Amino acid sequence: MPKTQFIDPVEVRNSGFIEFSPIPVNQYNKSVEEERSNFSDKELLYIFRDMAIIREFETMINLIKTTGEYQGVPYNHPGPAHLSIGQEAAAVGMAFTLDINDFIFGSHRSHGEILAKGLSAIEKLDDASLKKVMEEHFNGETLKPVIEGHTGSTKELAIKFLLYGTLAEMFARKTGFNRGLGGSMHAFFTPFGVYPNNAIVGGSGDIAVGAALYKKVNRKKGLVVANLGDASMACGPVWEGLTFAAMDQFKELWKGDMKGGLPFILNINNNQYGMGGQTCGETMGYNMAARIGAGVNAEQMHAERVDGFNPLAVIDAYRRKRKVIEDGKGPVLLEVMTYRYCGHSPSDASSYRTKEEVEAWEEQDSINWFGEELVKAGVVSLTQLNNIKSEITDLLVKTLKLAIDPAVSPVLDLEQNPEIIGDMMFSNGSIDKMEDRTPDVNHPMAENPRVQALTKKERFMFDAEGKPFSKVKQFQIRDAIFEAVIDRFYKDPTLVAYGEENRDWGGAYAVYRGLTEALPYHRLFNSPISEASIIGTAIGYAMCGGRVIPEIMYCDFLGRCGDEIFNQLPKWQAMSGNVIKMPVVIRVSVGSKYGAQHSQDWSSLCTHIPGLKVVFPVTPYDAKGMMNAALQGTDPVIFFESQRIYDMGEKFHEGGVPEGYYEIPLGEPDIKKAGKDITIVSIGATLYRALDAAKILEEKYGLSAEVIDARSLVPFNYELVIESIKKTGRVVLASDASSRGSYLKDMANTITELAFDYLDAPPIVVGSRNWITPAYELEQYFFPQPEWIVDAIHEKILPLPGHTVKNNFTTSEQIRRNKLGI
Amino acid sequence: MAVPVIMPRQGQSVETCIIGSWNKHKGDAVKKGDVLFSYETDKASFEEEAKEDGMLLDIFFNEGDEVPVLVNVAVIGNPGEDVEAFRPGGVAVASPASVEEQKSEPVVEKVLETSAATVSQSQREDGRVFASPRAKGSAEKNGIDVAKLAGSGPEGRVIERDVEMAAQTMPRMTSLAKEMIKQEELVSKGEGTGLGGRVSSADLVTPNQVYAQDFELQKLSNIRKLIAKAMHASLQNSAQLTHHMGADARKVLELRKKFKKDFEAGKVSQNVTINDFVCMAVIRALKKFPQVNSHFLGDQMRIFNKVHLGLAVDTERGLMVPVVRNADDLSIEGLASQLKAVAEQSRKGSINPELLNPEAASFTVSNLGNYGVEVFTPVINLPQSAILGVCTVVPRPADLGGGVYGFVPYMGLSLTYDHRALDGGEATLFLKEIKLQIENFEL
Repeated sequence: MPKTQFIDPVEVRNSGFIEFSPIPVNQYNKSVEEERSNFSDKELLYIFRDMAIIREFETMINLIKTTGEYQGVPYNHPGPAHLSIGQEAAAVGMAFTLDINDFIFGSHRSHGEILAKGLSAIEKLDDASLKKVMEEHFNGETLKPVIEGHTGSTKELAIKFLLYGTLAEMFARKTGFNRGLGGSMHAFFTPFGVYPNNAIVGGSGDIAVGAALYKKVNRKKGLVVANLGDASMACGPVWEGLTFAAMDQFKELWKGDMKGGLPFILNINNNQYGMGGQTCGETMGYNMAARIGAGVNAEQMHAERVDGFNPLAVIDAYRRKRKVIEDGKGPVLLEVMTYRYCGHSPSDASSYRTKEEVEAWEEQDSINWFGEELVKAGVVSLTQLNNIKSEITDLLVKTLKLAIDPAVSPVLDLEQNPEIIGDMMFSNGSIDKMEDRTPDVNHPMAENPRVQALTKKERFMFDAEGKPFSKVKQFQIRDAIFEAVIDRFYKDPTLVAYGEENRDWGGAYAVYRGLTEALPYHRLFNSPISEASIIGTAIGYAMCGGRVIPEIMYCDFLGRCGDEIFNQLPKWQAMSGNVIKMPVVIRVSVGSKYGAQHSQDWSSLCTHIPGLKVVFPVTPYDAKGMMNAALQGTDPVIFFESQRIYDMGEKFHEGGVPEGYYEIPLGEPDIKKAGKDITIVSIGATLYRALDAAKILEEKYGLSAEVIDARSLVPFNYELVIESIKKTGRVVLASDASSRGSYLKDMANTITELAFDYLDAPPIVVGSRNWITPAYELEQYFFPQPEWIVDAIHEKILPLPGHTVKNNFTTSEQIRRNKLGI
Repeated sequence: MAVPVIMPRQGQSVETCIIGSWNKHKGDAVKKGDVLFSYETDKASFEEEAKEDGMLLDIFFNEGDEVPVLVNVAVIGNPGEDVEAFRPGGVAVASPASVEEQKSEPVVEKVLETSAATVSQSQREDGRVFASPRAKGSAEKNGIDVAKLAGSGPEGRVIERDVEMAAQTMPRMTSLAKEMIKQEELVSKGEGTGLGGRVSSADLVTPNQVYAQDFELQKLSNIRKLIAKAMHASLQNSAQLTHHMGADARKVLELRKKFKKDFEAGKVSQNVTINDFVCMAVIRALKKFPQVNSHFLGDQMRIFNKVHLGLAVDTERGLMVPVVRNADDLSIEGLASQLKAVAEQSRKGSINPELLNPEAASFTVSNLGNYGVEVFTPVINLPQSAILGVCTVVPRPADLGGGVYGFVPYMGLSLTYDHRALDGGEATLFLKEIKLQIENFEL
């Protein structure tokens, strides 16, 4: 909501029409002969060669899947194989002009794109750079099998390396490009500019936009291509990514060299089918996908439909579109028309299309046609073409033999190293800044008005006599998070933060107040109200080497970025074989007072997904120390904050919140009140209710409670809790999460396993009811209250003399509620 | 109307008291002012008088029981009145002295009976016992069979507190050991080695043949235990050594004679002893050497502005060191009067426990002169930095001037100081100052 942009009611209410420009459809019409001035013979030949390599590579996979052998070499590949036989011209045309600074992202059907982009990169890199790339990848592990006995040129070696790395990856070999942990649908090789392919349809739609954001914000060369299928245009995240990519602010509000659109090309490889659903005529209504560009922005995304059966038509489009991007007029949409002869997968009987249709396309096969055109134009002889083809077959047979030889290409040895995958789940780095250069800021940090205001705050809640300072004087949780965030903005030049209302407003809860003054637009901006794009772009941004703080305004909106948080963010570090790091700290604000869709604590959902760190600090000291630790790290952290206590001062850490930098390691719980008779473990803002319960227990029943604030959920060090339980023998766990499936149940189970013999009663979980969150007026019946904790202790752990319960924690009630699912 | 008799609270730091003896018994008629029972704290003993006339309807604690302060110990009222409302909730903490199992056994049964009532029938129908893992562990350690306990936990589960309660009240001797003592005239050799510290058959020995029964095992009184602990701690935890010096006592002997005469003649209200003069000399010396008027606290020292003088007093129950606070504000008569008062209160056991706290005094004087001790090494009352031992007066040859030597009465002074707090030179100068103050005593 920039004040610089005046919304004039006169203009808004004016009558008129939206006018569209015509969207070109297959306007390219040059012959090979005509193009000889634009391409060298060698280039034309390589276009043919690259298409032929892809065709033979995928034919080999198809034969292995369907007949169990290729050229007499038997192999059983149980994993997936989504082939793109027929689509080679589209892939090679897309990749031809791209260099290693240009990144591509893909889909489950991207073998062709990996090989095309890899071959294009090999052609453009000099020998020394190629050697370096190959030798440095896993310290030469992927290179070793192909360099043995190699006699040809470095480029020939690099082609062997590319084919072998891809194939070994598909066959789950540890010498594969990603240690075999990505596999067919997720293979990639970043040194050649090939970024993750994605087995979730449309999964790359927003991630690739984040990569483009990274390039722009960090002034990196190159553009980013998202290779998606025609059917993915129905997916929300693709639309959300497009919305993000096309935001007006890039051209209207970003200043200086930052002004201009994102260097992003959405490349729709339209092979006409989404699995078996026919997009044009059955499952979509766009008729031509290029039409979508007209719905996104006034420039219509410079959309075009291009003939993807002619590699030269695609190359022509890319040459023109690069210019558009370089002029700051991105993003761009290309619909590249193609056709896959094979099924969605080998199990697909193609029951949704006729044989005639497939044959009609095969008759126009791009490789045959292009070969004939080359011969016709005198670029090459037919014999030469046939030689090329047989050389490719030889090369693939050799590559296959290497990739399936367990001595040369073993799978990860989980017998010897049972924790090898566990060790890859987190990178656990500690890095001040992701890149060493001066951060773009508007003024020195000391001149920031918020920073100056904070110097006057009381960093401990109480004065010398133990009286609390007034709220306005207290250094609050929102101030603590701000301090950690602004500190990192002045340290790490790659750090960006965005989300809903982050700029100008300063975040809905005033955490970012003052940041707008400190930072230029390209480091702090407002995103569309589109959580998938907020998190998806952050993933792409981090993959490329940047650090990012996306914000989810209410925890309840996590569902809007479900695939991004549950399927993408946690997985890419391990799926890349630890090639990729993921320094993304997602601030998630847990609401209250706003009813069923704005007051849920979903921290438990995040803990279920391996690969996420999940923390929930609830004191200023913890919030600053843990935000510092999260931002210093290289792993995805879901950083929960509670709206109930943004204004809470520091009441535990004596001496108050330090002004300087400090870290609190993620995973360490903290005793907030020592005691000896019973342990209460709390997650989130429930800490303060647990402390109230401890007071009741002490004053009314003479029980001394030890209150432990979990602070982190994943990772979590149980040692402190177990020590406490050895002493007390009793434990209650409390949080605002609904009790069924709550992470507390997992903790209760773990505690039972670790401390069974010390327990005087089972660990008892006091969570929210398994209801909708009711209105604020009724919240006391939904969220755990201090009295609930006392009641649970009385009923389940230690009957308290003279205690009258108000809440039903009996066994029969528990059975009744479970029977009813409430 | 029945009224309870509570265990009085003697001083802020006192949490429990031990009942010494009951002068009245259940059913006795009592008059206001009658001594009901005696009790002792760590540091002193007291008597509790009846505050009402009536009948002693019930007594809740026995001699030797440790009772929290402000808890009801007895009820006075009219015959037939109900006393249950006054009965304290918990069972008394078993006194270490009450090892006679006849006394404690019925209590166990009572506890079991009361909690048995809370066991839900369904839990026991199939004969299974539900006990928490922690309770099982504790039961095993204490040699208690959880099957014999009734659970007070949820749904009748035996929980840790049930085992703890049973452990507190369980017999101190196994049945076999009990029987063997009766039959074979064996004796227990001390602490039991059985489960939960119970005396088992293996702990029994035949009585010592050489000494036979020629000894009596005496339990230490609380005050004895406390002295033992304090003295041991003092010698273990400080660096103490003693300097000895003599002071010409002629001046104070003369003054003492004068006061005695004046007192007998009724000219002064307060007699003044030699010890009072010495104490006054010490107070004056301390004012000149504030470093000595101090507590040593490890990494810091507490230097007092005022002199709080401790005086070692021998009582029937043992050594006590009451303090006279702000002793430097007093005249010689005032000091004499106050020293006498605290010494008498200590002997009677009516001293305020706060005045016996070693932290209360800044310096202590221990006088063994009356007993003819010529030299000794007093032990510092930690955390004080020093203590002065006053010895008997003996005649010693001295230069009377002009080459004439004669016998002069000399009083021995033994200063023990903590070398961590003071150096030898400092201590010597301080001792010398006491000597000068005694030799040149001025009223």
